[in-house]
Amino acid sequence: MSAGGPNPPSTPHVKAMNCPGCGAALSLRSFTQAVTVVCDSCHSILDAQDPQLKILQQFKMATGENPPLIPLGARGKIRGTAYEAVGFQRRTIQVEGIPYSWHEYVLFNPYKGFRYLTEYNGHWNDTASLRALPTLNSYAGQVSVTYLGETYRHFQTAQASTTFVLGEFPWQVRVGETNEVTDYVSPPRVLSSERSGNEVTWSMGEYIAGRDIWKAFAMPGDPPVPIGVYENQPSPFSTNTKAIWTIFGAFAIFLLIMMVGFASSARDEQAFQGAYIFDTSARGESSFVTDPFELQGRTSTLELSTTTNVDNSWIYLNYALINQDTGQAYDFGREVSYYHGYDSDGSWTEGSRSDSVAIPSVPPGTYFLRVEPESDSGHGTIHYEITAKRDVPQFSFFGIALLALLVPAALITWRSINFEHLRWAESDHAPMESSTDSGGDDD
Amino acid sequence: MRNLYMIYGVIVLGLLGMAEYRGWSLASVNEVKNVPRSVRDNPGSYRSVYAVYHHYTGGK
Repeated sequence: MSAGGPNPPSTPHVKAMNCPGCGAALSLRSFTQAVTVVCDSCHSILDAQDPQLKILQQFKMATGENPPLIPLGARGKIRGTAYEAVGFQRRTIQVEGIPYSWHEYVLFNPYKGFRYLTEYNGHWNDTASLRALPTLNSYAGQVSVTYLGETYRHFQTAQASTTFVLGEFPWQVRVGETNEVTDYVSPPRVLSSERSGNEVTWSMGEYIAGRDIWKAFAMPGDPPVPIGVYENQPSPFSTNTKAIWTIFGAFAIFLLIMMVGFASSARDEQAFQGAYIFDTSARGESSFVTDPFELQGRTSTLELSTTTNVDNSWIYLNYALINQDTGQAYDFGREVSYYHGYDSDGSWTEGSRSDSVAIPSVPPGTYFLRVEPESDSGHGTIHYEITAKRDVPQFSFFGIALLALLVPAALITWRSINFEHLRWAESDHAPMESSTDSGGDDD
Repeated sequence: MRNLYMIYGVIVLGLLGMAEYRGWSLASVNEVKNVPRSVRDNPGSYRSVYAVYHHYTGGK
């Protein structure tokens, strides 16, 4: 056999032994590579390197309390290599007095050696030991490490205790053993260092979906649903955010080109103009019709502008744009009012002396306007001028389109920021939520 | 998500192009069919739906 040979056949390599503590049958799946093995009947931790299986430690805990999600002995393919689950341990850290536990599965392949799967709240990592040391450095005021050209930001340092073990381990495992664990993240990867005395072990984990583990080990049912955001969980938004802003930029440029194109190609031609006087004190019918005028070109807007000399008064104009040939009319009303004055706050104005409206989709043809002015009586005469312009570009649509493009991009960015906020909220570098310290503001 | 946004953006720009080309507007206009030709001779005989207008005569 050589390290470069094919993957092991599916035939199990199990060495049968008996626990010296309780006499229960033991299966040693990783042969001589196991350093310790735990009896799942009496929870004796045994020296797997000793032919007599010397008892190293015994602890009291029912196996049923912590059943491994991946049963020991289960086989599955991780990254194309067949592994067998041989060991399981639970490790716990205390943060502000609250215990947080995760589970580690020891996987074994006779040619590839050991590999690990870790699970916390439904988040899984495929982990392997590093063969080279990362470089410690400082990045943006934080401690970080660099490994193979990639920078990993410090996430958390904590004291992790082993609180439950089962199966085989390639090290001297003990329940109650405590190590300093430091995690550095660069999603989807995490670098972890474990310090025990003067010895430091580095490993790299890569985030893996629970359903991929279930598929790899052909396990029935569904994996636990992930809770929250894990330290190296890849953000579903971060890669999209840059791309979406790039696309937004392209759309904005195209929008600008469209605006210039429509503005320059619009006819924007005056079709009608007329000046009128409305005597507010006159009695009788005030409505009248204008001379016919021609609207040419394709179906497009007709912008009707009204300019008046109202002064602290108003005029309301009932308009009907009527097609002389078809009898189709566009009815609308426009108010023009302008008020001004002076009070304790200074001078003020309200309204405007002019108004314009774009009548949508007016087909070409011969039209005239029916105009019916209204106002309060006693305001004297009101002069007003009506101007009709054909095919005027509506820039409000460009603003609406820009907003419609901007909102989803901003929403995705916000979700990306929120995702990172949730990630780092669980770290040693949690962003400040709000300032609740009122003691320092009294002087 | 990128593809969805791309499709969405194309639809937005397509609608914008159609709105500009077809001369759409946000203005509220009431379309009336078959207005009699006599309106030219007797404008008072036609009353639009906007004819009854109660104006706010406020100011500051």
